[in-house]
Amino acid sequence: MILTILKKDLKLFFSDKKAVLLTFLMPILLISLFAFAFGGTGNSSNKTQAIQLLIADLDKSTESTTVVSNLDALDEVRLVPKSLDEAIDLVKKGKYVGVLILNQGLQDSVNRGTTLPMELKYDASRQIEMGMLQSVLMQELMSTIGKKQIKTKMNSYFDENFAGMPQHLKNKIMSDMDVTGSKSSGLGLKMTSVIKEDSKKGNLGLIQAVAGTAIMMLLFSIAGIGGGLLDEKDAGTLKRLLYSPLKATDILFGKMGAALILAILQLVVMFVFSWLVFGLPIFKDVTALVLMILATAFAVSSFGMFLVAIAKTRQQLQGLSTIVILVMSAVGGSMVPLFVMPAIMQKIAVVSVNYWGIQGFYDIFWRNLSVIDILPKMGVLLGIGLVMSLISVSLFKKNILKLIYA
Amino acid sequence: MMIHVTKLSKSFENIQAVKDISFSIEKGEVFGLLGPNGAGKSTTINMMSTILKSDQGRIYIDGNDLNKNQNDCKHLIGVVPQEISLYEEFTAYDNLMFWGSLYKVPTKVLKQRISDLLELIGLTERQNDLIKTFSGGMKRRINIAAALLHEPKILFLDEPTVGVDPQSRNRIFEIIETLNAKGITIVYTTHYMEEVERLCNRIAIIDNGEIIAQGTQAELQKMSRVKEAVEILFTEISTSQKAQLKELVPFNTNANPNKVSIECDVNKELSKIIEICNACALSIEDLHLKKVNLETIFLNLTGKQLRD
Repeated sequence: MILTILKKDLKLFFSDKKAVLLTFLMPILLISLFAFAFGGTGNSSNKTQAIQLLIADLDKSTESTTVVSNLDALDEVRLVPKSLDEAIDLVKKGKYVGVLILNQGLQDSVNRGTTLPMELKYDASRQIEMGMLQSVLMQELMSTIGKKQIKTKMNSYFDENFAGMPQHLKNKIMSDMDVTGSKSSGLGLKMTSVIKEDSKKGNLGLIQAVAGTAIMMLLFSIAGIGGGLLDEKDAGTLKRLLYSPLKATDILFGKMGAALILAILQLVVMFVFSWLVFGLPIFKDVTALVLMILATAFAVSSFGMFLVAIAKTRQQLQGLSTIVILVMSAVGGSMVPLFVMPAIMQKIAVVSVNYWGIQGFYDIFWRNLSVIDILPKMGVLLGIGLVMSLISVSLFKKNILKLIYA
Repeated sequence: MMIHVTKLSKSFENIQAVKDISFSIEKGEVFGLLGPNGAGKSTTINMMSTILKSDQGRIYIDGNDLNKNQNDCKHLIGVVPQEISLYEEFTAYDNLMFWGSLYKVPTKVLKQRISDLLELIGLTERQNDLIKTFSGGMKRRINIAAALLHEPKILFLDEPTVGVDPQSRNRIFEIIETLNAKGITIVYTTHYMEEVERLCNRIAIIDNGEIIAQGTQAELQKMSRVKEAVEILFTEISTSQKAQLKELVPFNTNANPNKVSIECDVNKELSKIIEICNACALSIEDLHLKKVNLETIFLNLTGKQLRD
């Protein structure tokens, strides 16, 4: 008896090709995705991806040129020369991790043994990349100009305090002190965040948690709300709606409108909660926040309806939405901050609604960008929403009879 | 003429659900579409109620070509679907308000119509209860009311009594009869022949997507050539008695030598036949009336039972 039931259930399961795909293929895809996300692919050498660093050489001296060419020769760093203002703007907008500024007087400082006028301005939202970059920079700068600077400084010290000390003895002392080492003391690389600290700035972890989670949960909610359409099919009310003077598109647009309103409400509730409980500064730029919420809600609700338009049953929608939303959230930075992912994953992230939403909220709360600066991201979200809506309408019109008679 | 259908056909992939059917329905008629499950009744209703496009043929609703004037046709018809198509989490009143508002009935008018319809279906007291708390029969009644809020001239009822108890079924019949008395043309699909016999003026018998016969029940009986009969089992009948009986009334015999079958109008001729038997000194052990109904007509026309 049990065997009969077992055989029947297995037969039923394998007759549903979509269920089979969701069960076996999707976990493989997810495993691959997370392996990529956490850099677990490739050979055992674990060769890291080059970090793009902006360079602004204001000294234009022999020493500064040597520094630039030595840094450019490193595997770990790819230098992108820019003017100072442009470079700072790009870092502020989150396009690059930071800019190394070689200020005027670098050559003189090396020759005089004084503090080197170098500065690294960086995006504090990309702390992990910054940590890696800092380590590479310190090592390289110390081995090039740092060594020269310390030698000069020590020679001056010996001359002032031990006049007449033989040169071979000075060299012996400097060799014993290992001035070519990687210690950064005395190098004087000033490190500053491009975003000025102010009392209204949000906590980086909080912004990531709120924006990432809010968008992921919103996707799940909208898929659920849109799924009501499939429930209406099962209940027969969809058919009855079609008996009325309503058009098929009226039904879909009505459902999309409801999903959009609920998406806006959900985002508002999440941000207000984050403000009340965690102190997220939601009033620092209300216009930008409202526009970003509207754009995100539109993109997410349209995407949810797109999933509904593809699925024929609640079960299909449930499986499909779980997989697609989890993948999109993983890729787009809802689950893990993008800056911890390899560069390739950061490039792939742009296909996800989550990416544009999260980056938009970063721009508001962390990068302090103006509405004008955030408009392109809002535009992308609106574009995603529009494309998804058009596809959903087309699919729904095409499939409505199949929906009724399925 | 309220509905005129000519040469209507519809296929789903390789299955031809409706094959070249034609019929007309006059104003105020109750027209029955009778056929077994899968015969093509619902497909025909779905085409007439605009949600399914026909492959061929034309449908005219109160003179309007359905293909050209779909929106006007939608206002002329009300459809009671086979499923209970209501929002379970809404109250009866809210459901009716919602379905009525889709036809842009002014709120004040709609409220009055809801009140009247709730009265008609006997659910005024339960109007503020959630649909999910209703019995199957009550849901069926609200299902009918939801199709009447825009005051359609034609009401399509697609198997409206599926799964209801006999008492609720009778209540639904009464509602339909009341609506018809008010001048609404009714198109009724079912596979229960007793429902058609009770409600319908004219009937179309549909099987495998084709209309096999249509007309009044008497006309269908004529077409099917099925005649009423009385089967009589005698205690004993001798050869001479058989000959005597045959001279007075023609009969057929079967495997049982003591049993005869006499074709007649049962209501008019039964007493006369019994008198003849008595005159022939035949003692009747058992008597069975074979009346003609739609079931027998259907069987005769299609060669299968209605509920096959």
